This record gives sequence, C-alpha cells and structure tokens, in this order.
Amino acid sequence: MKRTPLQSLVLYAAVVLAVVLILFPVYWLLVTALSTTAELTVLPPNFWPEVPQVQTFSRVWAERPIPTWLLNSTLAALGSVSLSMVISVLAGYALSRFSVRGSQSMGIFILTAKMLPATLLVIPLFAIFRQIGLIGSLWSLVIAHSTLIIPFTTWMLKGYFDTIPRELEQAAMVDGCSPLGAMFRVVLPISTPGLAATSLYAFVLSWADYAYARTFLVNAPESWTANLGITTMRGEYTTEWNEVAAAAVFVAIPIMLIYIFLERYLVGGLTAGAEK
Amino acid sequence: MARRKLLDLARPSRQHLLGYILLAPAVLLVGLIVVYPLLMSIDLSLQNVKLPRPGQHAPYTVANYSKLFSSQEFWMACWVTLKLVVTVTIGSLIVGVGSALLVNNRFRGRTLARLAIALPWAVPEIIAVVIFARIFDTSFGLLGWLFIKLGLTDRMIAWVSTPGPAFWAVTMTMIWKGFPFVSIMTLAGLQSIPSDYYAAARVDGANAIQRFRWITLPLLMPVLGVTLVLVVLWVFRDFSIIKTLTEGGPLKATQTLSIMTYDQAFGFFNFGYASAVGVVTLVICIVASLLMLGRGSKAMY
Repeated sequence: MKRTPLQSLVLYAAVVLAVVLILFPVYWLLVTALSTTAELTVLPPNFWPEVPQVQTFSRVWAERPIPTWLLNSTLAALGSVSLSMVISVLAGYALSRFSVRGSQSMGIFILTAKMLPATLLVIPLFAIFRQIGLIGSLWSLVIAHSTLIIPFTTWMLKGYFDTIPRELEQAAMVDGCSPLGAMFRVVLPISTPGLAATSLYAFVLSWADYAYARTFLVNAPESWTANLGITTMRGEYTTEWNEVAAAAVFVAIPIMLIYIFLERYLVGGLTAGAEK
Repeated sequence: MARRKLLDLARPSRQHLLGYILLAPAVLLVGLIVVYPLLMSIDLSLQNVKLPRPGQHAPYTVANYSKLFSSQEFWMACWVTLKLVVTVTIGSLIVGVGSALLVNNRFRGRTLARLAIALPWAVPEIIAVVIFARIFDTSFGLLGWLFIKLGLTDRMIAWVSTPGPAFWAVTMTMIWKGFPFVSIMTLAGLQSIPSDYYAAARVDGANAIQRFRWITLPLLMPVLGVTLVLVVLWVFRDFSIIKTLTEGGPLKATQTLSIMTYDQAFGFFNFGYASAVGVVTLVICIVASLLMLGRGSKAMY
C-alpha cells in the first residue's frame, strides 16, 4: 500500500524520535568519556565536549588494569563456553535425534533453570568452592557460568539440529559410517553457523555476569573481570566519570560487535525452553 | 572391542543407548553443578547456620522459615519485588511493542532502525548502570536538570538516596535494559503473521485500528505471553542492576527478594536464613510462571 507524503513524514519522524530516545544513553556514555572533568561538573550539562578528550581512553587503558580485566572476562567466557558447548552439542544432538525418555521434561528443566535465581545458587556454590579452594580463581567462574549457559545452549542446539534432515546421516550410515561418525563427519560440519551463533550467545551470557564474579573474586583483584573492575572505579564520594565511562566503552564494545553479528539468531536463544 | 560396540550402537534397537550415552555428560554435570547445589541450599535453609563448615551439620529446624514469615523485612521485599515486576513489565511491554510496531513498517533504513532499537539488549547491565548513575547524579545529573527545566521540581533530586525516586531510577534503568527483548520477540511474532490476513481485512474495509485489534493483537498474544513470563522472571532474579545502582537502599526501598537473599548471605553471613529467602523466591517464581503460562496457553485458543 502506498503512503501519502504526509504519512511518510510522520512515520520517519516517529522512527527518528524513537531511535534518538533509545540510543541517547549510549550517546551520553560517549559524551561523558570524551569530556573533561570540568565539563562534567557544571549545570546545565554539556551535550558535546568543546574539545573531545580522546586521550582519556589511552590514559585509562594504560593506568587502570583494563587489559587484565578484559583478559579475565575473556578467559572465564572461553572456559565456560568451551565446557558448555562440548556437553551441549552431545546432549542437543541426543535430544534431537533419539527418542530419549525424559526429553520432554528437558524443556521444563530448562525453564526451571531460567527461574533459578543466581542469588540462590551462589550460596551453595560459595560454600563448595571455599571447601575445594576455588575462591579467588577464575575456575570458579568457569563452573558458575556453565550453570547459566548449558540450559540455553543445549536447547538452542537441539533446535538447530532439528532443522538438519536426518537423511544426511542415514546416507552416511549406508556408506558405512557409525552413528557417531555420521554426527562428527556430516552433521557437525554443516552446523557451523548454528554452533557459532550458539557459542557467541553463550559468550554474551558469561560476559554479562556480575553476581558470581563479585562473590567469588572480590578479594582477588588480579582475577577481577571487566564488570567487577568497572564497579570498583566508582568511588564512594567522588567518581571520575570520564574515566569510568571510557572503561565502560572498552567493556561494552566486544558485546556490541557480537550483537551485530548475532542479531538474526537472537530469537532462538532468547526463547530457549519457553516454546509451546 | 570398541569397534564392535559402535557397530552394535548402529542397530536400531541400540539407538536409545547411544542417545543416553550422549546425554550422560550433560546430566552428570548439571547434576553436579546445579541440582546438587540446589539440594544443598534447601538443606541449608533447614539449618540454623551462619557460615557452613564442611563435615558439620546442624540439626534440622524450620526456624529460618518461621523467622522469615514473621519478619517485616521479608514482606517489604515481597512488596518491592511485586511493584518492580509490575512497573518494569508494563513499561517494557509498552516501549517494546510500540517500537516493534513502528519499525515493522516498510521504510528505507528499516534494518538499521531495528538494530538500533534493540541495541540496549547488548549493553551489559553494569554498563547500563554506569550510564544511568550519571544521568541520576545528585549534583550534575541530566535528569535532575531536566526536571528543573520542565518546572517539575525547583532543586536537584537525590535520585538514588531518596526512597521514592530510587525506586523509579531502578525502574527506568531496567525498562531501558529490558524492552529490547520485548521488541525482538514482538518483531519475530509480527513476521509470522501472513500478509494475506491483512489483505483480506482491507478488502472487507477494516481500518488500521480494526486490523490491529482483530488480527495483530490476537495473533501476537502467544508470543507476548511467553515474553511476559520471561520479563517477569528477569526482574525477579535481577541482581546486578539494583545492587550497583542503589544497593537495595535507601531504607530498603529497592530491596527485592533477590537482593535480600544475597545480602543475608554475603552481607550478614546468615547462610541458612539467606537460603530460606532464596528457596521461597524460587517457589514464588515457579508458581507465578506456571500460573502465567497456564493462562497464556488457554488464551491461544
């Protein structure tokens, strides 16, 4: 249906207004990072710094342990994503291909896992990790983040394997492949996009954690993740907002990039276990 | 030996077995790191313990639960959680569905607009708090200044250190972080509605509002039902936004059940009592989502 010029104008105006309002906080973060301390402590607020202070970024990167924090976040994410993916690929494939008893209850289990407050699970995990000496170590996050990730990735991968025709494996088995061989040589190679999207989604889940990092690592600054590190930059009385904002940009960038790649796969991940 | 076993597994009668073998690592790991800790916290909630020591087990008691249900703090936390769930859910639904309907129109740059409206989903919660903490800053915050400009107040508001405003500060931050999920889900739902329906309705002379009321809304209902449940669960379980924005204060005005659980455990080291709060929170979450899902699935027909 054709729109009149007036209707088009209204539509564009509404879209622009919505996008501006929604993205304003992100813009505000950038302005804060680029302003001088003097510009940040006046009213009315400055909506654009007179001279953008790009050097704040390099200063924060050099003077604060940002690279260490980013590295720790990445290590925790790589560890928990690898562990979860190995487990979930096998489980997702089993749920997709074999009429395993209890596969229906898997959906209910995943939904329950989504309901499980991290603030509840963190209590017994803390007691266990204290006993086995994992407090202060990134390994505690690898395990704790896997509790967040496995329910999602298993369900996402099951959904992805469901879209791959069974005939492919049957053909491979006729040609002499074992069922496991068919899975590793035929199904997994053509599932690369699904595996990549699922891993990225899991990476975002791990990267976003704050509760577990704060509980297990607060007394071990050398293991701080990016999210935990950022919160320590806000002082009780004074906060160097431009430095905090610059650090926040460094932390947000990896996730933003992943999001742009991941956008079209998001729905599957977000709804995992809640279909029907 | 191993080879024979694999050959055996290829037989249809052995397929089940292979399924179970592939599932076993997941079941074992989840049992070890989710189910066992969960049982342990139920066990903890039935003991009068501060910080549990290995090998020691206090006698079973329901003291934590009776203390909980007679404590004003608990009921206050329930009330705050309920208020927050209702305001954030309604806010996220309005902004999320509204923005989704807007970018579902055909126009140039639609892909970019879609990417933009869902972008806050990708901003880590801690970063969102950094942004909003500055917007709500008592001395030089943008929102306080805006309120003065609009004539709503005559001086800066101490957003995060006054009970009422602190609640709204948390609400606003959570809506900004939560609505993109609703948008993404709504857009997916809108795309699954066949365009023939709209064409047929137009032939019958239905206007835009009628088309929305009688086609879009009913067909969107199942998606919105699931979305509603997931948003409610997210608000229920959130820790990082509230903890880093207001710490549950001032005067416990933003202390939800999740925050209360955490603070009892790691602020006061009452592990038994904290587990009891957590277990009750989990039960409320399960009951609430079963009720909502039950209604949702009925609404589909």
